Amino acid sequence: MESAGHQPVLIIVTLLISAFLSPLLYRWRKFLSGMVLLAALTGAFVTALTLLGQVARSGELSYYLGNWPPPWGIELVIDPLRVYMLLVVTGVSLWIFVYALRDLEHELHHDVIGWYYSLYALLVASMSAMTLTNDLFNLFVLMEICAISACAIITIKDKRECLEAGFKYLIMSAMGTGCFLLGVAMIYMVTGYLNFSFIQTGLAAALSEYPLNIFTAAALFIVAFGTKAALFPLHVWLPDAHASAPSPSSAMLSGLVIKIYAFALFMIFYRVFPRSLLDAIPLNEIILWLGAMGVMFGSIYAMLQTDLKKMLAYSSIGQIAFIFMGIGLDQPLALTGGLYHIMVHAFTKSMLFMSAGAIIYSTGVRRISDLAGIGRVLPIPLLAFTIGSASMIGLPGTGGLISKWYLALGALETGRIFFLLVILASSLLNAIYYMPIVINAFMSGDEFKEKVKTVPPSMQATLVVGILLVVISGIFSRQIIVLFEQALTSLY
Amino acid sequence: METVSRLTENYFYLVAIILFVIGTHTMLTHSNMIKKVIAMNIMDSSVFLLFVAIGYTHGAQAPIIRDGADIVYANPLPGALIVTGIVVAVSVTAYALSIIVKIQRSYGTIDCDEICELRSDD
Repeated sequence: MESAGHQPVLIIVTLLISAFLSPLLYRWRKFLSGMVLLAALTGAFVTALTLLGQVARSGELSYYLGNWPPPWGIELVIDPLRVYMLLVVTGVSLWIFVYALRDLEHELHHDVIGWYYSLYALLVASMSAMTLTNDLFNLFVLMEICAISACAIITIKDKRECLEAGFKYLIMSAMGTGCFLLGVAMIYMVTGYLNFSFIQTGLAAALSEYPLNIFTAAALFIVAFGTKAALFPLHVWLPDAHASAPSPSSAMLSGLVIKIYAFALFMIFYRVFPRSLLDAIPLNEIILWLGAMGVMFGSIYAMLQTDLKKMLAYSSIGQIAFIFMGIGLDQPLALTGGLYHIMVHAFTKSMLFMSAGAIIYSTGVRRISDLAGIGRVLPIPLLAFTIGSASMIGLPGTGGLISKWYLALGALETGRIFFLLVILASSLLNAIYYMPIVINAFMSGDEFKEKVKTVPPSMQATLVVGILLVVISGIFSRQIIVLFEQALTSLY
Repeated sequence: METVSRLTENYFYLVAIILFVIGTHTMLTHSNMIKKVIAMNIMDSSVFLLFVAIGYTHGAQAPIIRDGADIVYANPLPGALIVTGIVVAVSVTAYALSIIVKIQRSYGTIDCDEICELRSDD
């Protein structure tokens, strides 16, 4: 394996430095502070693009932090799947930040905006590092940074429901990280390594000797990542947290933060656990059933909501479960669908939360029933909402179709028609709760009654970019699918 | 009999797991927020205890290499990791307590059940 240049660590360090600089600069020049973070995020995205070029040229690369080779040092690995995830994280966070620059002025007290930038940079830095790291303990530390900053971007809005939701989230995620660390201890006990690749060979040898330790660790990992990614029975913290947060935070949390844990679980399953472990106990089967229940219940709960952002939050529970179903079906086509859904849902749900944010910004309306006729006064936010809904349902021409298509193919390939029906039923349920909003917004005979403030151009522009991203991911998916196919064949 | 002797030999693992269960149970069932934070710390400490215990070898010394001496060394890595873990746990605790202060100011209580009642009245 070749070693990479310093780009991987530069992405993380740049974001960490800007996390320190932004609040300082904010006291002096408010405008400059936002621009510094914008520059850091752009830098991170461009660097991730150069990493993609490197990976395409020379295959898998690795970077030793402090030049300590594994198993002693922390290793960052740059392979196609991780670079894909890194691009999604840096790209989507850059896109959301452009929106946040204007929306935050409206949602937060102006004293704390500098601190918000700091937390945002920490969150993106920890998520970028989580995609690249190849070390279990490093993953634990990054998970904690991610958890604290994710809670803090909720509680920074000084309203009492935000505080309560943030506390609930913090306690649940503390339970998740506690379970994760216990699992790491179990694995370290039997293998003596923390590096993913070394553990994989170590576990294959230790499986016959210490099966109980390893099974316990596997169970703990499922609970840990299930809690953090809101897998069905462990999702209770999500609706309050995502719905009460400021809109850019909701977009980040629903769009990226829950997915990064789903991706981490994918990495644990296929890069840490040896194949013999996945064959020995039905881990994938457990994930598959929990995912299928999450898909159904998330949609059913979403139908019952009257608050727009709460509905979107419940819908996230259903959508994240698709990614878990991809892992659960344990089959290249389904995994392709699941991994593609990470990107599609990051685009779609972020855009939906941003358009909900734009609606709240300009009218203050949050109740779904009050949205009648709003499409005629706010055309661009509602157009974005319409395209987003289409992608959630999986209509042709949007990214949602591609990921559901591959998931369905995977279900057929393994001969499990039941899960194909689950995917179809969920699409119908999504249509039942998304479409009435769209129809009501554009076709309703009533005039929209509330006072309307114009949405700033930068927010409108991010929504237009979102529409383009969702449509492009639905039409030009070939390249990424080919990348997945090549990367996933190495797992089987 | 063999199970019992294995348990008594590795009693620190057993203690760690008991503490972990106490912590998790209290954290999820008690409605007082301060108790939740204390339970979170018990849970974290139990994992730290387990981790440090892995590095322990009976009769071993600190890993400072001396030429020629035939000494059994303890594994220093778990200790080093747990120092990081403790720092993380302290920062999460500090953050959780600061949220509780703010919750107390806006709701006037730190009991989850009472807050639920207050919210359902809204």
